[in-house]
Amino acid sequence: MSSESSKKRKPKVIRSDGAPSEGKRSRSDTEQEGKYYSEEAEVDLRDPGRDYELYKYTCQELQRLMAEIQDLKSKGGKDVAVEIEDRRIQSCVHFMTLKKLNRLAHIRLKKGRDQTHEAKQKVDAYHLQLQNLLYEVMHLQKEITKCLEFKSKHEEIDLVSLEEFYKDAPPDISKAEVTMGDPHQQTLARLDWELEQRKRLAEKYRECLSNKEKILKEIEVKKEYLSSLQPRLNSIMQASLPVQEYLFMPFDQAHKQYETARHLPPPLYVLFVQATAYGQACDKTLSVAIEGSVDEAKALFKPPEDSQDDESDSDAEEEQTTKRRRPTLGVQLDDKRKEMLKRHPLSVMLDLKCKDDSVLHLTFYYLMNLNIMTVKAKVTTATELITPISAGDLLSPDSVLSCLYPGDHGKKTPNPANQYQFDKVGILTLRDYVLELGHPYLWVQKLGGLHFPKEQPQHTVTADHSLSSSHMETTMKLLKTRVQSRLALHKQFASLEHGIVPVTSDCQYLFPAKVVSRLVKWVTIAHDDYMELHFTKDIVEAGLAGDTNLYYMALVERGTAKLQAAVVLNPGYSSIPPIFQLCLNWKGEKTNSNDDNIRAMESEVNVCYKELCGPRPSHQLLTNQLQRLCVLLDVYLETESHDDSVEGPKEFPQEKMCLRLFRGPSRIKPFKYNHPQGFFSHR
Amino acid sequence: MERALPHAVPLGQMEVFQALQRLHMTIFSQSVSPCGKFLAAGNNYGQIAIFSLSAALSSEAKEESKKPAVTFQAHDGPVYCMVSTDRHMFSAGDGEVKAWLWAEILKKGCKELWHRQPPYRTSLEVPEINALLLIPKENALILAGGDCQLHMMDLETGSFTRALRGHTDYIHCLALRERSPEVLSGGEDGAVRLWDLRSAKEVQTIEVYKHEECSRPHNGRWIGCLATDSDWMVCGGGPALTLWHLRSSTPTTIFPMRAPQKHVTFYQDLILSAGQGPCVNQWQLSGELKAQVPGSSPGLLSLSLNQQPAAPECKVLTAAGNSCRVDVFTNLGYRAFSLSF
Repeated sequence: MSSESSKKRKPKVIRSDGAPSEGKRSRSDTEQEGKYYSEEAEVDLRDPGRDYELYKYTCQELQRLMAEIQDLKSKGGKDVAVEIEDRRIQSCVHFMTLKKLNRLAHIRLKKGRDQTHEAKQKVDAYHLQLQNLLYEVMHLQKEITKCLEFKSKHEEIDLVSLEEFYKDAPPDISKAEVTMGDPHQQTLARLDWELEQRKRLAEKYRECLSNKEKILKEIEVKKEYLSSLQPRLNSIMQASLPVQEYLFMPFDQAHKQYETARHLPPPLYVLFVQATAYGQACDKTLSVAIEGSVDEAKALFKPPEDSQDDESDSDAEEEQTTKRRRPTLGVQLDDKRKEMLKRHPLSVMLDLKCKDDSVLHLTFYYLMNLNIMTVKAKVTTATELITPISAGDLLSPDSVLSCLYPGDHGKKTPNPANQYQFDKVGILTLRDYVLELGHPYLWVQKLGGLHFPKEQPQHTVTADHSLSSSHMETTMKLLKTRVQSRLALHKQFASLEHGIVPVTSDCQYLFPAKVVSRLVKWVTIAHDDYMELHFTKDIVEAGLAGDTNLYYMALVERGTAKLQAAVVLNPGYSSIPPIFQLCLNWKGEKTNSNDDNIRAMESEVNVCYKELCGPRPSHQLLTNQLQRLCVLLDVYLETESHDDSVEGPKEFPQEKMCLRLFRGPSRIKPFKYNHPQGFFSHR
Repeated sequence: MERALPHAVPLGQMEVFQALQRLHMTIFSQSVSPCGKFLAAGNNYGQIAIFSLSAALSSEAKEESKKPAVTFQAHDGPVYCMVSTDRHMFSAGDGEVKAWLWAEILKKGCKELWHRQPPYRTSLEVPEINALLLIPKENALILAGGDCQLHMMDLETGSFTRALRGHTDYIHCLALRERSPEVLSGGEDGAVRLWDLRSAKEVQTIEVYKHEECSRPHNGRWIGCLATDSDWMVCGGGPALTLWHLRSSTPTTIFPMRAPQKHVTFYQDLILSAGQGPCVNQWQLSGELKAQVPGSSPGLLSLSLNQQPAAPECKVLTAAGNSCRVDVFTNLGYRAFSLSF
């Protein structure tokens, strides 16, 4: 009610101070607007404290009047009604006062609220302004920092250094006077110069490109020319074939061989190259050839697409076969073994020709899965050889190359990794397959450049040319001496079997003219038989009777005396001497354990063999040793002191000239023959 | 019989040759060093090996201790005999005697102090020296061998003072009879001759083969070994091993050993002998065989007793002969181990 009125009326109200009981409407003095009554203005003029007092007083009066009315009413009487009326009027007045006061209070409250509200609005406005300003400040600060951080692209360019710039740039760009002082101008100038330089370089680049194109075209032309040359050269070569044959210079043949050689597996290739080189450089008697099927070799390296097709075919086949019976486990294992021991289809063949026209044919194979090489050997002679019985093993392919180097028996695979492969397919040792596959000698591996170090087993052993070349010469020489010594032995054995010790004329000086003891028997014995003999125990214990040696038994006789000689022939004959062990049957059995002289005889033949070697290549060693044995037996029998208690003459009269019969604590006989004086003495 | 097996099978030419040499080696002589810790052995190739007995007998002995500490080529021919004084060792074989210093002998490249050749009559063949005997009282060395004479050499001057002739065949062995002093020599001619050193004459001759009890004609008449204990002498060889009483020249005990004996020596109250056959025989003076201890060689040629007072721990008997091994017996009952060239 009051608030509405305040909107319509103007605020000015004049009111007298300190008249609380009045509470009536009064007209205000207005200037322009007309008559209105504003309690708002009144509020400003009155003191709230006094109003509060007035309120309290009015309330008290009311309470008093009510109480009086109450009293009067209770008392009753005639006068009462007038007094009650009187008092009622007074209370009404008081009620009016109270209402006024209430209105004033409300107005005051409203005013206070309005003022607060206004102030608040102002504050809010300022606040907003402040925020706006702060926001702007922040924004500007960000902008500033952005500007400060801005890196112009020009800083990324590596400009030439200042000195260079001033040196190189033409003055209209460098403008030294301006730029020296002003870094901004300087940078601009430098950028200009940079641009200038780049333009120039781009020009150059275009020029070079065009040059290159030209040159490429020229190359193309020349290539065309060259390729057209190839067919012409081929035709020339064809035409020159007859000339080559006429002049014995088989270039073409060699060329073909080189072509085939390209398909060889690496070790065989190394062997081929090294052997050919050696043959050409040092040894004309060596010839190298490649045998086998090149197509099969090419087929080994099928490209993957083909194999996929094959796979699908083979799958189809397999399905068919599974319907039939599956192959047995044994057959499968067999197949696996065959697969493991498969040889490369190509092989290298070396032919070594010796002085007497005998030839050693060596065929080298490569076992692909085992990464080792093997060799098969064959000896052919110019004339047909009649093999004496005892010489059976001398030239047999199995043993002719055994122990070419000491200990290299070729019965075991030299590649330690093979053992694991063998275990998978149940192969015990390569020895069982050696006859068919060839021998995996260590020198064969070396010639193929394969080296299997024992200490550190390597995953892949590759063929090495230098290894092959370093062993080639020695091995070839050893092979030749081996063949020749075996052939010599072959011939000698033929003679020995007939009881004749073939002593060549240049070795005759080692022996006296007359030798009475004769060789009666010469046979081979088996290794086990040799080990069983009672007089060979020392040799067996010393480790000199291995299973790679060849064993023979010789029998020398004179009168009633029989001398058995068990001979160990090392494959390395004649650099390693044959070893003799003797057993004499004459007046009891005498061996080196019970007769010092038998021991001395053995020593003469075994230890002093170097004198018996004869002229190089010392193929006469064995026969000379046998002849010496006969001489020693002669001396032994003739110098035996006569037993006075037994009657009869000596069985063997002394015919040898000896200075002394016994010497030294062991009372050894004079076994040493002196040439040319012809007498016997002691060593 | 345990024999040392080779560690590696001989394969190459050199290895085979060395193995053959070892198989055919004969050790003829031994000698103990004055300190008692080393044993020298001479073989038929002319090599002398010095073994360290103290190392081989010690508790930490390994296989290498049984190998020589030093081996050197002493002579061109076999070393048939060796003796040692308190500073020197004398070795003799093919015709000359060489002297070595024990103090230097272990060093590499040791050279002999001197070598001498007694004046021989023949020049066609140089006779061997089979036996050396030291006469400490006269500081002399007696050599005997192939030329059938005993040569006496004065050790101070190195000159040959006397030559005693009498044997008709070469001399095998010598022994010294200290009391008189007399030298006994046994030879291929079957006789044991006693020589008086002062008068340089043959005093007594015992022709063993002429006595029926001990002669064995099928073995020959040669006397291979001698040992004397003043009144007594034991000798063997072709004839049986016999104990003689020297003054009466009678054989008192004949030891029943078939094989010819090549070395005999008195030891305490026993007689030790060795010869053909691998065993060292121990005899009582009564003629009973106390023990036969097998060695590792098929025949023995020399026995050596290390009785040097300076090394009582090395008191052993060593035997060597037809092999490259020297058997060491720490206790006379069994072979302890073998040293090997």
